[in-house]
Amino acid sequence: MVLFILMVAVAVVMMYPFWYIVDNAFRSAGQYDRQSGHSLSGWNQLFANLPVAGELLNSTLVCVAAIAIILVVSTTAGFAFAKLRYRGSGMVFLLVVSALMVPLQSILFPEFVNLSNVHLTSSYVGAVLVYAALGAPFATFLMATYYRGISDELIEAAVMDGLGYERTFLQIAIPLSLPAIATITVLQFIQIWDDLLVGLFFLPTSQRTITAGLATLSTGRTTSVPALMAGSLISAIPAIVVYLIFQRHLVKGLTLGMGK
Amino acid sequence: MSLTEAETATAVRPATWRRGRGARGARSGSTSRSRLARRRRRAGILLSLPAVALVIALLGLPVGQAVYYSMTQWDGLTTTWIGPSTYTALFKDPIFWRVLENNGLLLLAVPFAIGIPLAIAALLHEHVRGWRFFRSVYFLPTAISWVVIGMFALRFFSATGVLNGLLAHVGFGSSATDMLANEHSALAALAITFIWSMVGTNTIIFLTGMATLDPTLTEAARVDGLSRPKIFFRVTLPLLTRFIQFSFVITVISAFSALFSLIFVMTSGGPGFGTTTLEFFIYQAGFQQVQLGTAALYGVILFVIMAIAGLVQLRLIRPDDGGGW
Repeated sequence: MVLFILMVAVAVVMMYPFWYIVDNAFRSAGQYDRQSGHSLSGWNQLFANLPVAGELLNSTLVCVAAIAIILVVSTTAGFAFAKLRYRGSGMVFLLVVSALMVPLQSILFPEFVNLSNVHLTSSYVGAVLVYAALGAPFATFLMATYYRGISDELIEAAVMDGLGYERTFLQIAIPLSLPAIATITVLQFIQIWDDLLVGLFFLPTSQRTITAGLATLSTGRTTSVPALMAGSLISAIPAIVVYLIFQRHLVKGLTLGMGK
Repeated sequence: MSLTEAETATAVRPATWRRGRGARGARSGSTSRSRLARRRRRAGILLSLPAVALVIALLGLPVGQAVYYSMTQWDGLTTTWIGPSTYTALFKDPIFWRVLENNGLLLLAVPFAIGIPLAIAALLHEHVRGWRFFRSVYFLPTAISWVVIGMFALRFFSATGVLNGLLAHVGFGSSATDMLANEHSALAALAITFIWSMVGTNTIIFLTGMATLDPTLTEAARVDGLSRPKIFFRVTLPLLTRFIQFSFVITVISAFSALFSLIFVMTSGGPGFGTTTLEFFIYQAGFQQVQLGTAALYGVILFVIMAIAGLVQLRLIRPDDGGGW
């Protein structure tokens, strides 16, 4: 019973911010100051100041494109590093995985100058590539770990049967690794959807993601708190929905690779 | 459709793969085998190429450039070479030490960011009624953007915010202050928000760790008459060492390189240099002062710190077989 009460207490601490955001999203500026009464005026202000629908669409497009690239490069490379080892492939694998430790902040300006030199910062392309590069090392590590668990014999048998390495990869390895693919997709979706830095730097204003749009709106200081809470709510909902549906995959991705 | 093909492949071909394996075992060295080996190598190189190209072009190359630009004065267009003396100048720069101090102070949050989740995980591990529901609740903030968390934290810590309302309620009304208006308390507010945000991730890591433990061990300890806290500290905790190390590294990496959005929304690095950490100073130096050389210099320092943490992490996540390394 004591334990149960403790758990409820922790739950209150963890959930309170969400309650606060929902509660105050439905107020006017005056109602917020008085902390009483509810209305939709915060939402009206939000939609007047932020192209919400457009930015939700931007977020979706950037997420889909970046995840697609991450999945392509991580499944192919993961398979190669696990099942098609060549001389030096261990070193190459280490090179790819060690890119995990490059924080984007460290290379922010060289990256930006490079991408704008090739005119990729005036569209989605630059941001998508940066997200893909940031996500690829861990995804490759995850896929390689997963493919190591598939027996070599199965792969060899398929190749001997005339499928060839490429078709063995597409028709046998990929279907077998759907759980790992799902984990990467969910993990990356949440990471990219929630990101600010790339969205802020590598996207033109008109193509900003919802998270970047919301953050810049908040620094304006002219927007009322209820409008910001409404924006927080609407930007968080997609990630929360994905979390609730795919919770298990997310947990797995987070703890995978730590050994049993 | 492809799934059924895979299933057929596994179901129908055992005779073939046994033959294939036999041939390999005998090292027959026939031309068809060596042709196969060549094709295999070619496929391996081809399939790993896209990932390698992406990582080198967008992460490797800019790291090299950052190292170069860190020894220059650079405004994005013109570059003036200065040399390694930028580093010695950096170590004499009081701003650098001020910024680094903030990073150091943030490390003080790490024990809390690990200890609290550890306690919560132990609580959940008792498997009280409804623990699965509570686990989902505790983990939910992990899905939320730092931007949104910062939005809330900004209002929570402000003078008219929730925290002061709470304090006034329990009789500390006179002390109502804006935590974000003072250098030290602003950093503390940032640290508290950070600890709260790490609860989900670290709890899940510890819960996973506890699930791997052999229940007969704690059972035996209980039979021996050890109290619950004693069992936790003497039996459970030592067995969780690996998981604690893992979460330690993740927490340090997050403290140093994941707080940009939180700082951006909550304090913009202020007041003064109050909450300017390395990662945020890179942004300020580059974006606000257009000293991209200085930004690159701080970037290299941050990278070195992260690389050290990352090497520890790589050692911890090394797969058990160790074969691929």
